[in-house]
Amino acid sequence: MIASLKKNPIIRTLASIRITVICLILLFILTFWGTVSQVTVGLYESQERFFNSWYFLVGDFFPFPGAQLVLWVLFINLCAVSITRFVYRWSHLGILVIHLGLLTYFVGAFVTLHFVEESNITLLEGESSNVSASYHDWELSVWQPTNDPTTKDVWAYDSDDFKSADTLRFNELGFDVIVKAYHRNAQAFVGADQKTDPPQNASGITEIARTDLEIEPEKNFPGALLSIKADGTEQDVILFGKESRPTRVSINGTDYHLQLRRKRYELPIQMTLERFEMEKHPGTEIASSYRSFVEFEHADIERRAEIYMNHPLRFKNYTFYQASYSIDSAQRIRSTLAVVKNFGRLLPYVSSLVTFAGLAIHFLVMAFKRKKR
Amino acid sequence: MKFFKSTFLILPLLLGLVTAVAAQEPTADGVCPIAKTVGSYDAFKSIPVLDNGRVKPLDTFARSTLLQFSGKQTFQKKPAIEWLARVLFDPGKSLQYEIFLINNPQIVESLGIEVAEGRRYSYSELEAKYPELRKLAEAAERIESKDRDIVEAELIRVHNNLRLFSSLTLTFSFVLPHPDFMIQDAELKQRMGLPAGQEVFSYYDVASNANVLHELVRPLESLPQDQWTAGQQEIVRLAASLLQWSMIYQNLPVHIVPPYDPKVESWHSPWDALPIALKLKSGRQELQLLKEMLVHYWDGRDLEFDLAVKNFVESARSRSGSGYEEAMKRNQIELFYNNSNLFLYAKILYFLTFLLFSMSLMIDRPLLRNIGWTVLWIAVIAHTVALGMRIMILQRPPVSNLYETFIFVGLISAMCGMVIEKVMKNWLGIIVASISGYAFLSIAAKFAVEGDTLQMLVAVLNSNFWLATHVTTITVGYAGTCVAGIVGHVYMLQAIFKTNDKKLLRSTYNVLLGTLGFGLTFSFLGTNLGGIWADQSWGRFWGWDPKENGALMIILWTAIIFHAKIGRMISPLGVAVGSILGIIVVMWAWFGVNLLSVGLHSYGFTSGLATNLAIYCLCQMLFLCVTYPLARSRMNKK
Repeated sequence: MIASLKKNPIIRTLASIRITVICLILLFILTFWGTVSQVTVGLYESQERFFNSWYFLVGDFFPFPGAQLVLWVLFINLCAVSITRFVYRWSHLGILVIHLGLLTYFVGAFVTLHFVEESNITLLEGESSNVSASYHDWELSVWQPTNDPTTKDVWAYDSDDFKSADTLRFNELGFDVIVKAYHRNAQAFVGADQKTDPPQNASGITEIARTDLEIEPEKNFPGALLSIKADGTEQDVILFGKESRPTRVSINGTDYHLQLRRKRYELPIQMTLERFEMEKHPGTEIASSYRSFVEFEHADIERRAEIYMNHPLRFKNYTFYQASYSIDSAQRIRSTLAVVKNFGRLLPYVSSLVTFAGLAIHFLVMAFKRKKR
Repeated sequence: MKFFKSTFLILPLLLGLVTAVAAQEPTADGVCPIAKTVGSYDAFKSIPVLDNGRVKPLDTFARSTLLQFSGKQTFQKKPAIEWLARVLFDPGKSLQYEIFLINNPQIVESLGIEVAEGRRYSYSELEAKYPELRKLAEAAERIESKDRDIVEAELIRVHNNLRLFSSLTLTFSFVLPHPDFMIQDAELKQRMGLPAGQEVFSYYDVASNANVLHELVRPLESLPQDQWTAGQQEIVRLAASLLQWSMIYQNLPVHIVPPYDPKVESWHSPWDALPIALKLKSGRQELQLLKEMLVHYWDGRDLEFDLAVKNFVESARSRSGSGYEEAMKRNQIELFYNNSNLFLYAKILYFLTFLLFSMSLMIDRPLLRNIGWTVLWIAVIAHTVALGMRIMILQRPPVSNLYETFIFVGLISAMCGMVIEKVMKNWLGIIVASISGYAFLSIAAKFAVEGDTLQMLVAVLNSNFWLATHVTTITVGYAGTCVAGIVGHVYMLQAIFKTNDKKLLRSTYNVLLGTLGFGLTFSFLGTNLGGIWADQSWGRFWGWDPKENGALMIILWTAIIFHAKIGRMISPLGVAVGSILGIIVVMWAWFGVNLLSVGLHSYGFTSGLATNLAIYCLCQMLFLCVTYPLARSRMNKK
């Protein structure tokens, strides 16, 4: 079977070392280009354009392969090579182990690209939460006002891909929402012109307008003009990402809260920030360390943990890192923890270990060989 | 920053005071026109001082401050500590010293000062133009740091230096007699325990008797102002001056007084220590000793000056405990490090080794190689010892800023060269070691101009384990790839000039492949350890950060060379070209990306780097344009 595969002309072509070299050169160019372009378009955009993409257009015309495509070709090339060209002998052990390690990198990269969830959670001392917020993904959330401060049912749509005339169905609640306008980065205006029947909004916003996207995607604040349809009635609502309060709308005689907010993720634990400490190098303003003392609850069991630089808290597939802190005008300290959910978290560790072992073996074998000669 | 902000507000006041204070002639008895100055600074320069988050000897503080001001570690060929003593104890004279380096003639012209030959100006010269300078610097400060041009950055630097200098001159002003504290009333002098023959006193003289003053002021509160006697008016004036001075003189530099409260980490400058120190016995004693230092400096009494310094340090030690003692021990190492200048000697020795090699091209004798080998050994030992001292002083791996990485990569490359020489015994290793050692130490010396290179770390780097593993391995990777690049140069030249010596070419080529593989292995390991560290602290293994990309580019570049070689797409000459270009890739990863000033790793930015990098690239291109066609045609002929 292997022997017949070895002779397969397609596989033999795919296993060409020219493909390897060309892909590596392309990757080299992409890496350089993607680094330099961060100055103008920022990390997020250049990552999308150069690394996460299959291809992109140079000057709106000439297509250039993106890193995702190049890596897939390299992966196929490597698989083909492992069938046709590799020499499975002890003397080639190092080379084999290196490339086995590289294969696991591809798997790790695939898992990370498609399954990782990154968010953050910001808490005041004493505050508690079981949801984290996305950095730059937004959602349209709808919920019924309740008196219970700890739990509420929320219906939500990811809003980043909203287009005009999209219909969002809230069947359980018995109404539809039609997107009249959606801007990923918007400006809001209050009382720009006194229409007779302005759209509803909690902050008195009467109009939103599109603005250019920011280099840092966290600085984009979307705005939406929506129309709520229920039983033949129609009412317009404006929502803006910077609003801290939801807009209250009465539909079919029931009150609902609508808000555009950063996408929320439910965490498997209830996290409370008990205390936050910051140390500085003596006599300077350079922070030498800062740490959060947290308490987290899972299945009614409470545990305490300290989260600080290079010392995250791990729980199942979740990892909580000390990301930053802020002090507001009332001198209250908020600690921000980055939350990463990634079931392939350990893959790069394995890849690193295997590939380095391969490099070391190969290096030593070569050195030994040379000495024997 | 806080310090600068607060001085900024009161600066106009301070500036007036500098001149006023400087005009005074301080002594115990009130007469002494010119300071005689002392001749021995051995004790003085070892006083522990907290600066930039680190306890260091006053000698280092003096050197780095003078370096920051003037770009040199000496003033008028005398050690920096002498200059600092002058600034602290005899500020009036130091105002005339031309120490402020202004690189850009545009600034000098816009201030309306005549351009000096040495590009250095005195405080007095600049003070006259201070309002303009301040206006320009404030405007420059409003621009975001990455958008500032060279002139704007220089303006801010000069302005900050001027402010720092003016605060430095005030460090000991509390013991300098000042007209604000003139007492004519004999009875008052007697009650305060002050000598009757003196009229002008210092802040310290009056403040240490503040309780007497306090008692005298209190009954005056109920008395209408117009009924005060002349003596009473003097009392009120003294109290007002005391209050005013204590409000102005805050947040000054030169933190030589360790905290009186063991829970506090930050040290005090003499002025900031005053309010607490006056209440404590040890504090009063230390203040008295500081005063004695100044007096003995003026009288030029070496022995007494030394004694006052030693007693001050002893008093601070006896109340501060083990931390202070350890700092004193480390300071001894640091003083030796400062004085020995080992990096300079190592650099010279590397150069000498290279000269010996050049001589061998003319007269090839085994003896010459033995001498070169020995000199190289001494250079590497000096280099290693100096690096070791840095580790002992800072108690962490020596790889946290660009200066340190240059020193470190220089050493690793030189060591690689020694291994190569040990195996090949044909000058190749000596060439590699001497060139890389000399080149990297020379580049490092350029970075030393930024001030004290022994710096504290920001929170994310503050982990000895990861510094020791990730940063060290990645820099070893840089070294390996750079060494491969140098061997590539050698191979190129050998291909031209020793085309017939197939054995030599073969052996150099093998070394080239070996070092390239070494560089790849360590770059790879370092990059992955970096990924793991990033996963530990930021939550992702890989994030396309510029520094990560740079490291990836080194790996990709070496991988391209190896695969192209296996696929017979390039000849040995092509491998040599690839490794020569590899140095440029390393430079890009190492500090080129810092020029972009984006991303998480953008510490250690230095201006002027971009030009040098471009010049280097250009030179390499020229080198290749000349040598490659030549080498190729010669190799093909054979």
